[in-house]
Amino acid sequence: MTGAMTDSLALLWPALLVAFCLVGIHTCFGIEVLRRKVIFVDLALAQIAALGATAAFLLGHPVQSAAAYGYSLAFTLFAAVLLAFTRSWSARIPQEALIGVIYVVAAAAAILLIDRAPQGAEHLKQILTGNILTTGVDELVLIAPLYLAIAAGHWMLRRWLTQGTSLVSEFVFYATFGIVVTSSVALAGVLLVFSFLIIPAAIGVLYADTLARQLAIGWIAGTLTSAAGLAASFMFDLPTGATMVCAFGGALAIAGVAYPFLRGDARLATQRAVMASRWCLALVLAGSALLLIVAPRADQPLLDAAEYALPGLRAGYLSRAELATYQDARAYAERHRVEAERLSAIETRSRSQGDALDDTTVQRISSFLKSYGEMRRGEEFVMREVRARARERVRWIIAAGMLALALVVVPGAASLLRLGRRAGRRNANWH
Amino acid sequence: MRDGSARGSETLWALLLSALLSVPALASGSPARAQERLSIVTTTNDLRSLAEAVGGERVAVTALVPPGLDPEEYQPRPQDLTRVRQARAVVRVGLDFDLWLDRLLAQVGASVRRGADGYVDASLGIATLDVRGMSIGDGHGHGSGNPHYWLDPRNAEIITANILAALVGIDPESTAIYEANRAAFLARLEPKLKEWEDRLAALRGVPLVAYHNSWPYFARRFRLEFIGTVEPKPGVPPSPAHLASLIGTMNARAARIIVRQPHEPEKDVAFVAKRTGSVVAVLASSVAALPGAIDYLSLFDSNVAALRAAAGVR
Repeated sequence: MTGAMTDSLALLWPALLVAFCLVGIHTCFGIEVLRRKVIFVDLALAQIAALGATAAFLLGHPVQSAAAYGYSLAFTLFAAVLLAFTRSWSARIPQEALIGVIYVVAAAAAILLIDRAPQGAEHLKQILTGNILTTGVDELVLIAPLYLAIAAGHWMLRRWLTQGTSLVSEFVFYATFGIVVTSSVALAGVLLVFSFLIIPAAIGVLYADTLARQLAIGWIAGTLTSAAGLAASFMFDLPTGATMVCAFGGALAIAGVAYPFLRGDARLATQRAVMASRWCLALVLAGSALLLIVAPRADQPLLDAAEYALPGLRAGYLSRAELATYQDARAYAERHRVEAERLSAIETRSRSQGDALDDTTVQRISSFLKSYGEMRRGEEFVMREVRARARERVRWIIAAGMLALALVVVPGAASLLRLGRRAGRRNANWH
Repeated sequence: MRDGSARGSETLWALLLSALLSVPALASGSPARAQERLSIVTTTNDLRSLAEAVGGERVAVTALVPPGLDPEEYQPRPQDLTRVRQARAVVRVGLDFDLWLDRLLAQVGASVRRGADGYVDASLGIATLDVRGMSIGDGHGHGSGNPHYWLDPRNAEIITANILAALVGIDPESTAIYEANRAAFLARLEPKLKEWEDRLAALRGVPLVAYHNSWPYFARRFRLEFIGTVEPKPGVPPSPAHLASLIGTMNARAARIIVRQPHEPEKDVAFVAKRTGSVVAVLASSVAALPGAIDYLSLFDSNVAALRAAAGVR
């Protein structure tokens, strides 16, 4: 294992711990949120908390002070009261509508307040855009006991909280939820916290009926997905939060696709899946063929992807001269890039080392860099043009091939053909 | 006849009186003339400070972006429409930094447009750094070069020359005043530049890290070495591998100072600082972004002091 790799892994394990902790508490709340059909309540509560912090900032309190936290908490509790009351309206207006209103008004009010106190207003963005990668274990130590206490309280009061219809139980639910969401969002950001809340819970609810099982499935799915997302972020060198959100999206998609296989007639599900994928493939092929005929110079996603995967395909339809031009242009584009990088490195080095370059030299380097950029763009234009012309030339053959393939793939085509042949024979007999 | 002479002497008195009144009025910058001040709009507070230095008493300058906000992401307000419509001159950073101004100018149908006398692209003639013709690769995402050129105080000569040319174009009678103002400003800048260079000489060879790549011009002028940025591309949070390699480089080079602007995320910087035992220096890249940076010259005073404090130089 290389040093860089161990360093990256050392950065990742606190993030993994934070993810496990957040999955733990948010799955509990998520199941209840799904049951109550208040999906976006976490966004509204986080936004209200940010509004509270903004107000505190405007009144002269530092961003991460106890006073700022107090204001956030007070605003969140106020929103909890609102939400508890509006439960009774939900017979006439869906509660989601009111949650949406709370969200937009809180966001808009925060913008108005920020406008009054611009100095350092960007700090407030941080309340809603935590970064799980840069969350330390020390922050986790602060919130983990709080989350454990809230989770334990919810478990003991679960009957009263889930079946009770009193204002007090509603308020307790939203208030505790608000506290959890506000702390989590500051650690991991709005997008990731929403994924932690909804997706493991949704997978749990999809596959189980009792609360204990739903929780267990949600926790397992959530921790596995978090680990997979972090691993992908490490392996493919991607921003961690965004990668994890996409991993959660993928997990839900897999769970959804697997559902009919695991929870229904597997044979029927397989048949349907094969049918659907054949239709999709046939449609994509036919669509691509049509696009190639109608607009051969436009982007051709299917052909582009195929060429990207198998660059050898290009040799199949480019003439020898075209192929030479194409490869030449690519080599030049690469040469211009390397040369630009070299010049740029010389200039950067000269800022602090060796003799300083005078303005005229820097200006000359800049115009060289611009020219290299333009020349590279020119070569890339040549590559595109050569390919577009070749595609234009062979479009009928390739499109016909794709259409034929689509006919082979499409379900029922074989039986149609058989029917046709039989009808032909019958006609022949009749005559 | 008598009546006529009385009327004549009244006129004389009135003339005398108005002459007497106008002498002190002229001397003290005059409320009457104040109303004739040319209204000038700039996008940032840095350009406001420089435009005030050239225009002096003859101009009233407004910066559209309020202090402390990120000028690249500014969303114009309704009053900006009026400000731009009434402006005799508009001064912008250019280099794709304040693109929102184009829409604003088009929307109000302002008399000041690209190519008009009062239109100033302050970047004209600047030796740009970090030009990436295709905005691919590391660094700042601007295809036409890094736009933070006002952070090289030497560039103030070019910026003020651009502003001067525009002011002379719209108000040729005051040419001498503008030229004198600019010369006076440059005369104040010159010893300051020497002072900053001397004070930052202690940081030569000291490796620095920034959150965002805002400092190439500053680094070039004062011979400072920035070895990396926390944010790999504008607006994209760092990946684990990027952070790990940054921390590795910082440890290998013993880099112990991270530069952050007030509006940049505290948490990510604090994380790297903690892992490397670094000090965070909060620097303003724009006038009025920090309380100490009230104008163009004090912007550098404040940044130089912050860097020296971070490096532990007294």
